Amino acid sequence: MEQRLNYAPCGFLSITHEGVIAEINQTLLNWIGFEQTDLLHRHLEILLSTPNKLIFHSYFYPTINLEQHVEELFIHLKHKDGMSIPFLMNARLYTEDMVERIDCILVKMKKRIDYEQELRSAKKLLEAAYQEKDQALANLKQIHVEIEQQQAKLLEMNATLVELSETDKLTGLKNRRFFQEKLEQQFNSFYETAKPFSLCILDIDHFKKVNDTFGHQAGDAVLVQLAQLLTQRAGNEDIVARYGGEEFVIILPETEIVAAKELGEQIRQTVALDNWPTGQVTISIGMATVTLEDTGTTLIKNADDALYASKENGRNQVTHFCDMK
Amino acid sequence: MENIVVRNHVKVIGQGNQPIIFGHGFGCDQNMWRFITPAFMDKYQIILFDYVGSGSSDKGAYTSEKYQTLQGYVQDLLDIIESLNLQQSIFVGHSISAMIGMLASIKQPEYFQKLIMIGPSPCYLNDGEYQGGFERNDISELLDMMEMNFAGWASYMAPIAMSNPENPSLTQELKQTFKSADPVIAREFAEATFLTDHRNDLSKVTVPTLIIQCSEDSIVPIGVGDYLHRHVKDSTLILMEAKGHYPHISHPNETIQCITGFL
Repeated sequence: MEQRLNYAPCGFLSITHEGVIAEINQTLLNWIGFEQTDLLHRHLEILLSTPNKLIFHSYFYPTINLEQHVEELFIHLKHKDGMSIPFLMNARLYTEDMVERIDCILVKMKKRIDYEQELRSAKKLLEAAYQEKDQALANLKQIHVEIEQQQAKLLEMNATLVELSETDKLTGLKNRRFFQEKLEQQFNSFYETAKPFSLCILDIDHFKKVNDTFGHQAGDAVLVQLAQLLTQRAGNEDIVARYGGEEFVIILPETEIVAAKELGEQIRQTVALDNWPTGQVTISIGMATVTLEDTGTTLIKNADDALYASKENGRNQVTHFCDMK
Repeated sequence: MENIVVRNHVKVIGQGNQPIIFGHGFGCDQNMWRFITPAFMDKYQIILFDYVGSGSSDKGAYTSEKYQTLQGYVQDLLDIIESLNLQQSIFVGHSISAMIGMLASIKQPEYFQKLIMIGPSPCYLNDGEYQGGFERNDISELLDMMEMNFAGWASYMAPIAMSNPENPSLTQELKQTFKSADPVIAREFAEATFLTDHRNDLSKVTVPTLIIQCSEDSIVPIGVGDYLHRHVKDSTLILMEAKGHYPHISHPNETIQCITGFL
């Protein structure tokens, strides 16, 4: 070997097609602590640890044979004292007189590899941090979904509670509280649109007798049946509510005196003609139609007075407040 | 259904009718059979392919879930056989491919006429009396070495690339030392290869099997060939004069003779 190649500032190694070391320069021998006689005619594997053997056989060997050259292979060689030394290796397949040689140039990369290791550990930390971030984000999203579900549940429960708070348990009709609210709303829209509405208060005749004769359960059944009849008879916009005891109210939006009286009469007849488990049931009805002088209190009082008149005049009849003057 | 021929870069050559399938080993692709296939052109129908993730396969078909064990690769092989409608094939598998072919033949024995294993090993890790050739720390050193031998490892950020498969730095045509384009796929293939243990499957093989072992295989200890021969029922063991782990590249003529002798 030429002196300059023998002591060149890089390792030079030539192996046969089978991987046997044919030439090796002094620089490389110095780096790995061997004598030339230790290595010549030995397989390169003598310098390779198990993983490096695998890299050599799985990557280097097929590539050099298929591509004729390999660039920048990172590989470790074993120092005579067992230390592992990192090298960067270029190789070229060279054929002369039908004999194949794989010429390899090796450069020590101890410092470079230290930098690279630093870079790798920084990269791994960064990857872990990213993964943590993604995980945290996923957790947050999960929490967000759960909160939304809880919120929907609360809204649902709230709606149920509202429903319960304005419903009469026995008849399923709206209760007095709800009626008061709606009555207020009716006054508001009456002040805005000047379209009058009417109010109907009705009471079961001799209900105490029903209870006394047939018991409270039968009385309750009558109340439920009446509630159903009222709901069926009333229009879609009408608001039917249980006012208390055996007293019911119906708000008739946008309904004048005549129409109100007609509806009152229809309801009275429907009740009187229906089949009741307790024998005939009749109701007395009092009606009032709003005027500009009215408030909620006066309107209810007027309808109540009309109801009282119906009772006084023999029950099972309809009285409108306007006919009492 | 996806096109298997494109997915696995399947090539069918040769003038014969008897199908012979060549399966490449870890870290390579179908090119490794370049010196072997000419000898079979006249009498056989030769099927070459790349496993998903290797060579010119469709890397978009790769998922870590499917290919984290050899079963994903076994499915690749079965898909190819089914899509080409091959009957009674001869399968030649190098290294880990020998195990992939063996597992496929256990699943579908009728697909295979003969198995030829070059440098096979059912388990690369040492385990008590069994000498697979590798200690666990050898494997982790190997995985690190591989990682550092792949261009782009430093710019490749696993969690980000996973959520963004269109990462342009990966699809770029990088000039690389080795063919495998994706450091993650290569690493997972290495893990699937070197951390599996299929010793318990050997007794399930029913297809006649040829085991070709190099006299000094630097990766698979000589005892592994004997071990396979003892545990695979209808098997023949040939010890080649060739040394190394790639006789089909280093000693193509002797390799061809071994294969044709068995056929």
